[in-house]
Amino acid sequence: MLKIESLDVAYGGLRALDGVDIEVAQGQFVAVVGPNGAGKTTLFRAISGTVTPRGGSISYDGHDLLAVPAARRPHLGIAHVPEGRQVFPSMTVLENLEMGAYTEAGRRRWRDTREVVFQLFPVLQERQGQLAGTLSGGEQQMLAIGRGLASAPKLLMLDEPSMGLAPAVADTIFDRIQQIHREHGVTVLLVEQRVAEALESCDLGYVLETGRVVMQGSHDALIADERVRKAYLGL
Amino acid sequence: MSAFELFAIDFLQALVAGLLVGGTYALMCVGLGMIFGVMRVVNFAQGDFFMLGMYAAYYVATALGVMAVLGPYVGPVIAGLAAGPVVFAVGWVLHRFLVGRVTGVAAVGTEGEGHYAQIILTLGIALVLQNGGLILFGSLPLSIPTPMSRASWEIGELLVNQARTVSFGVAIVVALLLYLFLKRTPLGKSMRAAADNPEAALYMGIDVDRSHRTAFALGCGVTAIAGGLIASSQSFQPYIGFDFVITMYAGVVLGGLGSILGAFWGGMTIGLVQQMSTLVLPFQLQNTAIFVVFLLIIFLRPHGMFGRSADRT
Repeated sequence: MLKIESLDVAYGGLRALDGVDIEVAQGQFVAVVGPNGAGKTTLFRAISGTVTPRGGSISYDGHDLLAVPAARRPHLGIAHVPEGRQVFPSMTVLENLEMGAYTEAGRRRWRDTREVVFQLFPVLQERQGQLAGTLSGGEQQMLAIGRGLASAPKLLMLDEPSMGLAPAVADTIFDRIQQIHREHGVTVLLVEQRVAEALESCDLGYVLETGRVVMQGSHDALIADERVRKAYLGL
Repeated sequence: MSAFELFAIDFLQALVAGLLVGGTYALMCVGLGMIFGVMRVVNFAQGDFFMLGMYAAYYVATALGVMAVLGPYVGPVIAGLAAGPVVFAVGWVLHRFLVGRVTGVAAVGTEGEGHYAQIILTLGIALVLQNGGLILFGSLPLSIPTPMSRASWEIGELLVNQARTVSFGVAIVVALLLYLFLKRTPLGKSMRAAADNPEAALYMGIDVDRSHRTAFALGCGVTAIAGGLIASSQSFQPYIGFDFVITMYAGVVLGGLGSILGAFWGGMTIGLVQQMSTLVLPFQLQNTAIFVVFLLIIFLRPHGMFGRSADRT
């Protein structure tokens, strides 16, 4: 579904991504883990089109994604839930969700997706008239995910959904992400610093360090890998 | 009549005049506030779009014969409204070929340099419009000849200028329509989203550049309507934009940079202060009074009346 080949991104002279290959198949849950500054957010930005790669290719669903303008990419079924949530603070919760449903598919299926989002995150229904800027961090994250889902995506990309959240709240968020993947058949690409939680739910994992994929493998292989256990799982 | 009664009448007279002037100022500020609120661009040429609005209204009223057909009462109002679409088109083209190159997605990543380019560009557009206006329209002051500008309705002891009252009503209706557009329509909502967070808006599939272009053109058009309305109660020449752009900025900052509702009330406040100051200060100090009040409000509320710069990232 998504195939990234030898992707190079540089900011000025600084190499953020260096020959990255990542593949996501339909229906999979793929996690990209790694420390701060590994290039995880840059990877997402390249997929969404807010940074322009220096080399490499990204193909999605038969499209050469790099030839598609950034504003068109969500309409192909890619939902990007950005790092730091980035809800629209001066708009209400419901308006934020409506913005998620700005894509053609989202608009068509708005009534159903809205119900799905409200079932996943009942607090959003309770607060639908409230300004998003006044929500707590956890609620904003739920809104950001809900907004992504409202676009009726085929591929849901989540950038550090646990960032800045209390552990219990982060657990809820991870549970919901798994539920979205299982029950709604959405392909998930997750980027996380919380390696244990991210690897726990994935089918396939990539370890990104300073712009390179240093390891990749199935869930079982990575969990069993000595280096991963030592460096990331603290075992 | 006692001295107090006389003062009370003067006070009410100034209050009414302030509200009427404030209504058109509010609309003028809303145009500028919209451009800044959505695009974060400081548009120095806004006063000159206001001037273009005045001339557009003048030529629609006279040369196109709108006044001759609709009469001296309805004609100026229709001409004032017609200035909107005309200057909207000018703004659209300017954004498409010039402003869009240094703003929006194109300017992402060139934070500092992007802003310098924006300032120089809008300043340049201002100069071209002013001097181009001088060549095209001439330096002779003009005004839309309507009997309403000198006629007043008498309400008790109060005199209410007809031209200003009509302009006030039209300005409020236009501002209200714009408000509903932004609040209710999908296009309006997507523009607010692009204003709140352009990056996230892009992730929603919103064409941020198109939102910006619409906001810029609408902002120009709305300010031009204010100009077109004021053109029937004030004479103007190609350099008049400069007088108004400062007032406009005072209103927008007063209301709170980035807030369109704030721009409305900021403009209203400017109108009220300007007219009410004549009660206690000589006529020539009107603008001084505006800035004294401006400084006071900014001193007490640095983000302005409706400021929300704190919650923006």
